[in-house]
Amino acid sequence: MTELALLVQGLLDGSIYALIAVGLTLVYGLLRILHVAHAALFTLGGYVGVVVTNETGSFILALVAAMIVAGIAGMIIYRLVYQPILHLPPYVALIASIGLFIAMQEGFRFYDEQGVSYVNPPVQGTLELAGQTLQLAKIVTFFVAIILIGGLGLLAAKTRTGVAWRATVTMPAMAESFGINIIQVRYINFFIGSALAAVAGVMVSLTTNLVEPTSGDVWSYKALAIIVLGGLGSMRGTLIACFALGVLEAFATTTCVPLGNIQICLGEIMNRDAIAFAFLVIVLMIRPQGLFVRA
Amino acid sequence: MRTKLLFAGVLSAGIFAAGMAQAQNIKIGFHAPLTGFAAADGKSAVLGAQLAVEQINAKGGVNGKKLQLVIYDDQASPKNSAPIANKLISQDKVALAISGSYSGATRAAAGVFQKAKVPYIAAYAVHPSITKAGPYVFRTSFVGEVQGRAGAKLVGDILKKRRVVLITLKNDFGRSLVRGFKEKAAAYGVKIVSEYEYSIKNRQFGPIIAKVKADKPDAIYATGYFFTAGPLVRQLRAAGVKAVVIGQEGYDSQKFIKIAGKAAEGVVITTSLNRDSKRAVTLGFIKAFEKKAGYKADMVAATTHTAIYVAAAALKAAGSMDPAAIRAAIAKTTVNAATGQISFNSLGEVQKSVLVQVVRNGNWHFHSKIDDKMLLAPPTK
Amino acid sequence: MEDLLNAYDMSLIRTAAVMVIMALSLNLITGFCGQISLGHAAFMGVGAYTSVVLSINGVDFILGTLAGMALAGILGILVGLTSLRVRHDFLAITTMGIVFLFSGIVEQSSFLGDTDGLSGYPHPAYGDFAYMVMTILLAIAVMLLSIYIRRSWMGATFKSIGDDEDTARILGIDVSLYKLAAFVMGTSLAGLAGSLYAHQTTIIQAENFGFIESITVLSMVVFGGVGSIAGVTVAAIVLTLLPLWSQFIGDYKLLFYGGLLFLMMRFAPYGLAGIVVRLQRLVFRRTGDTG
Repeated sequence: MTELALLVQGLLDGSIYALIAVGLTLVYGLLRILHVAHAALFTLGGYVGVVVTNETGSFILALVAAMIVAGIAGMIIYRLVYQPILHLPPYVALIASIGLFIAMQEGFRFYDEQGVSYVNPPVQGTLELAGQTLQLAKIVTFFVAIILIGGLGLLAAKTRTGVAWRATVTMPAMAESFGINIIQVRYINFFIGSALAAVAGVMVSLTTNLVEPTSGDVWSYKALAIIVLGGLGSMRGTLIACFALGVLEAFATTTCVPLGNIQICLGEIMNRDAIAFAFLVIVLMIRPQGLFVRA
Repeated sequence: MRTKLLFAGVLSAGIFAAGMAQAQNIKIGFHAPLTGFAAADGKSAVLGAQLAVEQINAKGGVNGKKLQLVIYDDQASPKNSAPIANKLISQDKVALAISGSYSGATRAAAGVFQKAKVPYIAAYAVHPSITKAGPYVFRTSFVGEVQGRAGAKLVGDILKKRRVVLITLKNDFGRSLVRGFKEKAAAYGVKIVSEYEYSIKNRQFGPIIAKVKADKPDAIYATGYFFTAGPLVRQLRAAGVKAVVIGQEGYDSQKFIKIAGKAAEGVVITTSLNRDSKRAVTLGFIKAFEKKAGYKADMVAATTHTAIYVAAAALKAAGSMDPAAIRAAIAKTTVNAATGQISFNSLGEVQKSVLVQVVRNGNWHFHSKIDDKMLLAPPTK
Repeated sequence: MEDLLNAYDMSLIRTAAVMVIMALSLNLITGFCGQISLGHAAFMGVGAYTSVVLSINGVDFILGTLAGMALAGILGILVGLTSLRVRHDFLAITTMGIVFLFSGIVEQSSFLGDTDGLSGYPHPAYGDFAYMVMTILLAIAVMLLSIYIRRSWMGATFKSIGDDEDTARILGIDVSLYKLAAFVMGTSLAGLAGSLYAHQTTIIQAENFGFIESITVLSMVVFGGVGSIAGVTVAAIVLTLLPLWSQFIGDYKLLFYGGLLFLMMRFAPYGLAGIVVRLQRLVFRRTGDTG
């Protein structure tokens, strides 16, 4: 039964990784930029979610506000930071992005150094399922992630905008010659990716009831490991990597594996945050192109 | 920068006739994490120390001189605290210094102060190696192991719980507490069912809690700070784990109750500040701090407040600025301060009773007091 | 001379010298050879931990430092080998991972003091002043080595790899070998910086060699101008001392570093060196006009 509980917890954590990593993959697919500052939008979403909920009492309003604010912030980052340096070597954008991430985290400190909490935390129920008590907030996060990401996939596959979008990702020059407004696609891209990160930020704040300036730290580095694992730019690979890592972490940090006479406890060799990178290094040694290659 | 300060100094001396007093202030060095992950504790540390200095100066200072704090931000990192210690010693020329910071930063600075033979008081850092730096280093709070032993007594003897799960914060704070807890657990009939560790950046405890639930413990000894323990306790209760949670002084802040909300009710901690104290000095501190800070007093503020009072008493007794005389005076001093009666043993450690507090109706309240002299004996070498 | 500098001044100079070595060692990898490393502090950590563990066990400081350099260099070869296998973008994230692996493993190893770190280890018996002079001399030596490498045929090869790897390959350059050489030299010098750092302070913990530290070193290279020896040296000194001198910058150190990285990349991607070149051009054009 414990194994089932761990599996469920791993999948629930995986859905948060997914909400964050989708945006990163979108940006990488389109611009070939490792968008480290993405995690600052996760934190921004958390702040907006908590503050608006406390001010208005409406969680739904807060969630929408967080998505819009982070989405617009994402578009501004594209316009002011990335667009002017796209022609330079890729490390320029990477370093600029790291700098922006650190500066934004410090910026949150000006708002509230100690972090913010809900006065009356919303969505606090629990759910009894197969002998387990699960937090409603986590279940909601899981389904929100599935619905949003699934919806996005449908949008990309079935609609005109979606086709244009996919064309721009795979063949920008060709797409442009067909009259697709590439710049517009990029803005949409940043808006959607950032809004999803904000959803993750708000959802995590429901279980922790604490949004701090550095809340995005751990997620940002891990999300980068995830998209590299997923083969950079491959959406399917990224999603699989998200859930795989969630489950791997859940088991590795709490369980020991018997190997002959000795117990191998991964949690005793390295801490939780190192596991993602150990996994990454091992995978890259075997498959330098990542788990999945972009189709 | 230095010339600017000098200029400002000359200017103020010209304007105020009492400007001369400026030069005769007694400087007390102070470092705390004003930024970074521990900034909330740093803020309380500084406010507690400032409050003490204001109170002492309002009563005429020490031997006719005013106390003056020289404060630096160490971000709770040993990398920053060692240069700060050097700066306080050779540039600011402080009479003595106080750490309002965590163990890592305090350990690094302790070595520097000892080497320069400048007295140094750690307010609440728990690591045992701090006072071992040498005779110039003192501590006004418990060594981690001592508080861990008190935790074992609390669980086994006072709360009468038998099956315990440890959720350990993976840093010097959490680990030294747990060392003390494990040392005495068996003596109080406490059985450690299993132990899980988490790193200071974790706020999501889903997998650990799933395992804890399966362990069915009577009590959970969870080490951490309010910003890790708040989310942890919240998630434990949300997952339906009802076992009593035992914390330590890292929980000791109103912020813990704010984060954990209703889940905080019934959480018991070992600490050094008693909210329901009848002692005039503690009551006075709690009231004055809330007035100054705009939020309720916590353990960190109480210990830095105490450390300043210890420093002032020693400076008064020493009657000179000679570091060796000040050190000798600290070693001999007995002060009645916000966190209790403070006097030091040969290693510079303090012996006092551990106060157990519990959350009731959204506030910390008195639960019990652990007074066992043998159990709480600090190391002497 | 010894009386002119107090303990604090000497600690500043030592720290600056160590950071100059760190920044120049990263410059060998990133600047000369175009390989981004987001985990350089981990190699500094390997050097620091190796030499401290050895000195606890009674090994001489110099031998311990050499061992630290060797171990850091060996790890550098491993990362270098990875860099040969994976794409450019992957390498940045892999090197970032090295930092997390380093602290993740050190903090679980009791013989490395786990999260407590190591403290109370013996220091070399040179005294503060002599130690400071030694670090300065070593920093100068690393500068000279950098200049030598850039002037030699090796430097030209590095540059061609950094500029355009594929063309270099077509020209018959053994790209892999040179990349590995850059990694070995850069990481073992980081090991040197680590040992020097450890023996001028009283405690080392894994978190001292983390991601933020790596980014700090990278920001020195970027601020100075990727590849420019003089620029990187100046940047390392300025960026080390500024937050300590100015309380304001000290309080907002991360905001300052973050903002600096971002603004430099956005408006002056070639750093101080780039700005100097631009100014020179401006001045020469002016004088050309009038003369």
